[in-house]
Amino acid sequence: MDRIDRRTFLKATTAAGGAIIAAPVLFDGWLTFADTGKTGYFEKEFGITDALCKKVLGQALSKGGDFADLYFEHTISNSLGLEDKKVDRASTSVNLGVGIRTVKGDQVGFGFTQELTEKSMMAAAAMAATIADGSATPVAGKFASAKMSDYFPLMGTKPTPLAPRLSLVESTAGKCFARSSYVIKTIARFGEGRKRIMIVTSDGVKAEDLLPGGALTCMVTVEKDGRKEQFWFSRGGRRDFSYYTDDIAKEVAEGVVDGAVMLLDAVAVPAGEMPVVFAPGESGVLFHEAVGHGFEADFNRKKTSIYSTMMGQKVAEPMVTVVDDGTWPNARGSINFDDEGTPSQKTAIVENGILKSYLHDRISAKHYGLLSTGNGRRESYAHYPIPRMRNTYILPGPNKPQEIIESVKKGIYIEDVSNGQVNIGQGDFAFYVAQGRLIEDGKLTAPIKDVNIMGSGPKLLRDITMVADDLKLGWSGTSTCGKDGQLVPVDAGMPTVLVRSLTVGGTKKRGA
Amino acid sequence: MNKQMYDLCKWVLETAGKAGAKDLRVSLGKSRFVEIQYRDRKPEIIKQATTLQMGIDFFVAGRYSSQNTCDLRKDALKEFISDAVSTTKLIAEDPYRTLPDPKYYKGQSGIDLKIADASIDDLSAEQKHTIVKTAENAAWSAGGDKIVTVEADFNDEFGESVTLTSNGFSGYSSSTGFSVGVSVSVRDDDNRRPEAGDYAESHFHKKLANPETIGANAARKALAKLGAKKITTATLPIIIENRHAHRIISGFFEALDGRNIYRKQSFLADKKGQKIGSEKFILVDDPLIPEGMGSRLYDGDGFAAKKRTIVEAGVLKDFYIDWYYSRKLGCEPTSGSTGNMIVPAGARSVDEIIKDLGKGILITDFLGGNSNPTTGDFSVGIFGQYFEDGKIVHPVSEMNIADNHLKFWHKLAECANDPWFYSDWRTPSMVFNDVVVSGV
Repeated sequence: MDRIDRRTFLKATTAAGGAIIAAPVLFDGWLTFADTGKTGYFEKEFGITDALCKKVLGQALSKGGDFADLYFEHTISNSLGLEDKKVDRASTSVNLGVGIRTVKGDQVGFGFTQELTEKSMMAAAAMAATIADGSATPVAGKFASAKMSDYFPLMGTKPTPLAPRLSLVESTAGKCFARSSYVIKTIARFGEGRKRIMIVTSDGVKAEDLLPGGALTCMVTVEKDGRKEQFWFSRGGRRDFSYYTDDIAKEVAEGVVDGAVMLLDAVAVPAGEMPVVFAPGESGVLFHEAVGHGFEADFNRKKTSIYSTMMGQKVAEPMVTVVDDGTWPNARGSINFDDEGTPSQKTAIVENGILKSYLHDRISAKHYGLLSTGNGRRESYAHYPIPRMRNTYILPGPNKPQEIIESVKKGIYIEDVSNGQVNIGQGDFAFYVAQGRLIEDGKLTAPIKDVNIMGSGPKLLRDITMVADDLKLGWSGTSTCGKDGQLVPVDAGMPTVLVRSLTVGGTKKRGA
Repeated sequence: MNKQMYDLCKWVLETAGKAGAKDLRVSLGKSRFVEIQYRDRKPEIIKQATTLQMGIDFFVAGRYSSQNTCDLRKDALKEFISDAVSTTKLIAEDPYRTLPDPKYYKGQSGIDLKIADASIDDLSAEQKHTIVKTAENAAWSAGGDKIVTVEADFNDEFGESVTLTSNGFSGYSSSTGFSVGVSVSVRDDDNRRPEAGDYAESHFHKKLANPETIGANAARKALAKLGAKKITTATLPIIIENRHAHRIISGFFEALDGRNIYRKQSFLADKKGQKIGSEKFILVDDPLIPEGMGSRLYDGDGFAAKKRTIVEAGVLKDFYIDWYYSRKLGCEPTSGSTGNMIVPAGARSVDEIIKDLGKGILITDFLGGNSNPTTGDFSVGIFGQYFEDGKIVHPVSEMNIADNHLKFWHKLAECANDPWFYSDWRTPSMVFNDVVVSGV
């Protein structure tokens, strides 16, 4: 294999609008940013000064409006993949642009450009301004950098090369084949991205950050006596490469192979209503779907959420507290500040069974006369922010996991779920059980698979009758939530929980 | 052909060649769009922008990488290309990765697909706002006092793309799209707020459906969800509404993909030529239909687009094998891309079928769920209308259907006469017998 000890440094040249060309750095085959400093990047590399921001914001507010904001982004994403034991595909994606938003009440004008030149930015700002039709709103005299915590500090200041990443992917695949002779195919992928952002608002906030993200993902197909099953497993978060040790490769290989092999013995699930126990960790996606979305404040402001008239009311038993937490160190949904520049926080949505707070962006916070909870997030510069979850989970409760399982005579135990979806207004949700077991007479028995679970969000909350003390976050590093055509990274988790009854979409009639 | 885009792609081919990459494919896409959304009779979102995105597939010394960037300044691109070539050389060789044999580029149809409206710029901002307002007003009129909120939107887009390969492929496509949509939330007796919508889209703004019809349909669909409940788990006939039928077919479709076949994740891998469904199951892929939402002259490999029969009278006829996986599987490539996916319509209306069936569920939407391409098992949440004695009795929610594709398609009893044109999936409503529907 060729090795290239070349390092490309930033190359400055004059572009059309006077901006400086900022080339990412190739470090031994791995394209990334030259350093990990969080501030000053867009000014240094693209000439985005406070004076220029003020001018563009002035254009965005030239017809009035409550406020305007600029969201600069430069993202580099890389991935390596294999399906035949050696890494034989690589990809890189570079995204660069600025989104310009003008807000008037709950109305939004939005434009964006991929050219960070004054001319292009002024044109996009003029587009955003069309949402208003009055006289100009003034822009703050100066921009103060927001003081913030760092929930995902990077270990090293210098980039690391491609080679250890290749080894990671190949060794993970090798560990899968070594784990079980039933493995007939392994597909492994390592993806890593770095996103630089800068938010500047017309009311004087300036916030800059460097967000890391990545995951080691593996999928295997196993075959036994002519029966095939597939399973996937991943680990990641807002981490740098130092996280991906041999132990992580081992955890991924064991997780994916053991999960797939278990499915070889999976049985058909009876259809109908039954008690459901959720294992700690991954199955928290259920609460993301069934509970979290209905509490995003835009749905409530618009009165489309079933929870829009329930603030302050009892929505669950007293041992249930649901939080949305942007501060869990290194979690995939953690942010130091949201995409409107509001500092991150841990927000109690349901506290001891009482609905306490929606998840707010600036627009909904103003609507309700509250402060934003730091949930204004967007996929990229090409999207405007809307209320989104971060890391959502239920706090630990008084029970022990074993006592919860033993309390169920006949039901199912869910360990991993995917493809969750909710109908906000009706409150109905559905999700797919990727891994689980039957519970028979208080014991975990045969594995189950390929079954959908349905329920009503408000009823689900009311029907939580036991909560254990074993909270875990999912940590898959791949959880991504879609809303209004925008994808954002999130995580979810939970302790072991018993829900009295849910609809299980099996293929057998009960007793059949 | 957009000369500026073509010239930039040509420059990339030359620049990459100088950097050591002789074999590559470069694609440049450009899109200009407008989005106008109203809620409760005032503008909620106005969004407009132009985007550019370049994708380059490198085949360097038997190695492969794919690269994307929107930073198209030539100095930045030059550096990007040089870095990409360096990275590509560091990964393992893959003897199957090459540009396609140019013989597959030949035979491109000369047909005018009629997917670009030259008069897109004639539509004024005021006219666009009027379309949205008209659609929204129609929803309010049809929905009455049960309405909580109405959201209406109009979108238009002009897109162009240029693709060049170093071994002689040159492709250009341009298209326009116009859509109008309305979503209505209504208040149920128990504080639930069911929501439903309707939409239409077309390549030509003069052919866009009447916005009043869309608004009224959206309100009617939302009102029809009031009082939804679940029924006892039962084995019943189901009718999947035309616009949603693709949700179930797409699970079947995943197993036709050469990539999944190679990865041993296809329950259809050994089923070619075999009966995998009832006589009624027919699936045709025709990329060359004028005005079709999935129409195109060439695919992702540059292969000339052709009409293909995928399933004929329940017999599996063909797969989706792109150039790369054809080499790995050792078979002739077909295409890795879809065009217009057509399930031929039948003779009777949904109303007639409901009367004839007597009892069953008309599925009008899905929720969550999944389909396993390795085993064919699927499970998905449903919304719809329960009917008895040939009449709609009440809406259903919180219910589910689950089956295996290798059994499910044998249950296809009939297709209705209502093909859905606003998608690249041209499906009619489809009737299946004896499906387990889970509820209470």
